[in-house]
Amino acid sequence: MQVRNIALLGHKDHGKSTLIGRLLMQTGAATRVRIREAQEYSKRLGRGFEPAFILDSFTEERLNEMTYDTTRAEIKHRGMALAFIDVPGHEELIKNMISGASYGEVAVLLVSAKPDEGIRGQTKRHLFVARMLGIDRLIVAVNKMDTVNYDEERFRAIERGLRRFISAIGFDKRNVAFVPISAYDGENTVKRSARMRWYGGKPLVEMIYESAKKATPKATGMLRIAVQGTLPGGLVAGKIVSGSVRAGEMVAILPKGAAVKVRSITVNGAVVKVGNAGNNVALALAGTLPKEMRGTIISGISSRPIVTDRIRLRVFVTGAFGRAMSVKFNGIDIPCRKVRVLRVIDTTTGALRPGPPRLLDAVEADITLSRKVPVEGYAITPELGRFVLYNKGMFAGIGIIEPG
Amino acid sequence: MIEQDLKPLEEKSIYVIREAKLKFKNVAALWSMGKDSTTMLALTRKAFLGKIPFPVIHIDNGIDFPETYAFREWLSKKWNFKVIVGRSEIKPDPMGSACCGRNKPETLKKLLEEYGFDALIVSIRRDEHGIRAKERYMSPRDRDFRWDYKNQPAELWDDYASKLDAKEHMRVHPLLDWNEIDVWRYIKREHIPVNPLYFSRNGFRYRSLGCTHCTVALKSNAKNVDDIIRELRTTRQEERSGRSMDKEHEAAMERLRALGYM
Ligand SMILES: Nc1nc2c(ncn2[C@@H]2O[C@H](COP(=O)(O)OP(=O)(O)O)[C@@H](O)[C@H]2O)c(=O)[nH]1
Repeated sequence: MQVRNIALLGHKDHGKSTLIGRLLMQTGAATRVRIREAQEYSKRLGRGFEPAFILDSFTEERLNEMTYDTTRAEIKHRGMALAFIDVPGHEELIKNMISGASYGEVAVLLVSAKPDEGIRGQTKRHLFVARMLGIDRLIVAVNKMDTVNYDEERFRAIERGLRRFISAIGFDKRNVAFVPISAYDGENTVKRSARMRWYGGKPLVEMIYESAKKATPKATGMLRIAVQGTLPGGLVAGKIVSGSVRAGEMVAILPKGAAVKVRSITVNGAVVKVGNAGNNVALALAGTLPKEMRGTIISGISSRPIVTDRIRLRVFVTGAFGRAMSVKFNGIDIPCRKVRVLRVIDTTTGALRPGPPRLLDAVEADITLSRKVPVEGYAITPELGRFVLYNKGMFAGIGIIEPG
Repeated sequence: MIEQDLKPLEEKSIYVIREAKLKFKNVAALWSMGKDSTTMLALTRKAFLGKIPFPVIHIDNGIDFPETYAFREWLSKKWNFKVIVGRSEIKPDPMGSACCGRNKPETLKKLLEEYGFDALIVSIRRDEHGIRAKERYMSPRDRDFRWDYKNQPAELWDDYASKLDAKEHMRVHPLLDWNEIDVWRYIKREHIPVNPLYFSRNGFRYRSLGCTHCTVALKSNAKNVDDIIRELRTTRQEERSGRSMDKEHEAAMERLRALGYM
């Protein structure tokens, strides 16, 4: 069964864990033992039943009612496995949120309709990060509709409040949907809700399923192998991130560009004629190889990525954005020689702001690296257009190369 | 139980195992002679063209099943890899069982220091136990094996944590995404040898293997891999229900986990 990763986003307390718990129950994925444990635990804490307690989490997380690190839970729907990644909604834990969301193919954003909750800064920030990570399908679940008597006007107000921002950060309108739900009561989650007849669309799980079905990985077809290194015995190990490689063909090893011949290809222990995207290959190469293979890219002779030491990145800042920075690219660390900030964006509003970049801002920057690397737009070949930034060894941000 | 596509699981595991070997200086793997860590060894052979290029550690409290010891001797010869046996004591443990509780990690700690391993491949799966849902493919542990789950390094795309402070080591989890049934389907597809204790004798079999003190057999007529897969398709029981250690307080489990119990 195909597994699709669904990143659950949203401000703390807007109902992410409750939604997963409810879905696990409604689709029969939660064992009776689990449900009973959750009931007992809720009672022990002196509260009504909390579906969120069905999720795998630490006692500590339950007691403090917050997710510290990502949790994964799978449900089955119409022959597809949907793996929900519950990410922390707390600002201080954005690093963990990014780790979880980076595996997402579809994003589900929860916004609470409860009168004192609604759209929050974190709501928009999560959307911003999801878009940056390349997620292009989004479902906004307007949750806690029970607290506003399933009122259509409240739902529409939240929709209006987010539509513009969502388009501004680059989501295609056709790939975005809004669904009103109550995670707590299980309304409109798996079955259509009788309490919201004014909503003409499908229930949440169905919307997610359809989105996931359409989310197919884009592939350019050009050969790109991200090289991991040299195996004991001398074969070159790497992952084909796009295209395919044939035994006997000439390929280029970048950044230097040495042309070598592929003598043989091994995939999962068997010698094959062709290696395809997704395969982890071991290659026997004939020719003069660079001393250090780790971090190189193998491409076709004629369709090579650009090799440069100057990159323009869009960065989401997760730490101190400073001068002593380095990037992690394709498994290797590369110090930056120069970092020039062009623009700073407040990710809670999408507006430009003056001054030096702060934590959780987005930044557009020109960076000069201390060596040349083969790169491509993130949208073309993600593996060649994404960087993890470090400042004195500390995680400082993620950056992507935008086309153009 | 969800049956996932085996192809992407296999590719990811091979990637992670190679990454461990290429990134760290001194790698070892834990092997309990159970189905998961044996599958990990089979994947390792695929990653390194038939070889297992690092030593394999068995933490032995001396009271494993005879079948388990026999399997250890047989497979290590057949696949030609080096086994390091670390002998653990059986002594009272206030937080868990005397046999497989805290005493095993103590032995492992000593081994890591003695050999200077900086990365340890451990075949845990996310679906095995609640607490494991938060594990990463690569996750650092300090000298006392503590796991700071709230403050793990970011892990995004294929970039895994690699920086280690002195006295830390990396736990590497190549099987993290696999479900129990996927492991069995893969064992079938690849004809991976398994410990005979998994198969039914006199109406009972073991589903999860610990030592002779803490493993409880469950009622089952599954006599071969196909039977087991069929059984898993319909069971509503949790995998580790046959391990007495888990029946104890949940908080104790968490503490064990934080201590690095494997
Ligand atoms: N009334 C109501 N409360 C909800 C709903 N969904 C979640 N909650 C409550 O909101 C609180 C926070 O939910 P939780 O799932 O922990 O939020 P998370 O931080 O986003 O994971 C809990 O007390 C839930 O019971 C809902 O649909 N209706």
